[in-house]
Amino acid sequence: MTLLRSMLNGAVAMGWLACALFFLRFWRQSNERLFGFFSLSFVVLAMNSVASALIDAQDERHHYIYVARLVAFLIILYAIWDKNRGNRRR
Amino acid sequence: MAEAVYILCALTSVSCAVLLLRAWKRTESRLLLWSGLCFVGQAVSNVLLFVDLVILPETISLYLPRMLATLASVSVLLYGLIWDAS
Repeated sequence: MTLLRSMLNGAVAMGWLACALFFLRFWRQSNERLFGFFSLSFVVLAMNSVASALIDAQDERHHYIYVARLVAFLIILYAIWDKNRGNRRR
Repeated sequence: MAEAVYILCALTSVSCAVLLLRAWKRTESRLLLWSGLCFVGQAVSNVLLFVDLVILPETISLYLPRMLATLASVSVLLYGLIWDAS
């Protein structure tokens, strides 16, 4: 079971990193901040999965890793807000 | 403290999904559709997180369903990025 957990967390981490690289490319191509924030958020989510894989489920500090997940979602929300603000100004 | 973090994770991921799908409806950008669907999966995973760690007793674990929801959301976004958006 522990091995399955580690494998799934590793797969998820790799997936987030791949998504982050795609968005990094879009950001470099279009210079649009939205893509940069998306990329950053997916890197945070990848680190979150790596931490989940490495920290024992019984460890009482395990809820701190969900703070990182929260930060990633807040980055996305900020990115969307930032994009909408930019559109209104134009 | 922990409960607040789990609730906020669920609320923020639901908000991300709603905002991205609303933006997709407005602009019809396929990238926003895939990102929105990804966050729908994340929202499911985070609601399960709250149910698992706060509501259900410790004897029942939803770790695997939570991980599968997350893996599904990553896979949906990767599929979209590879086949549709680039």
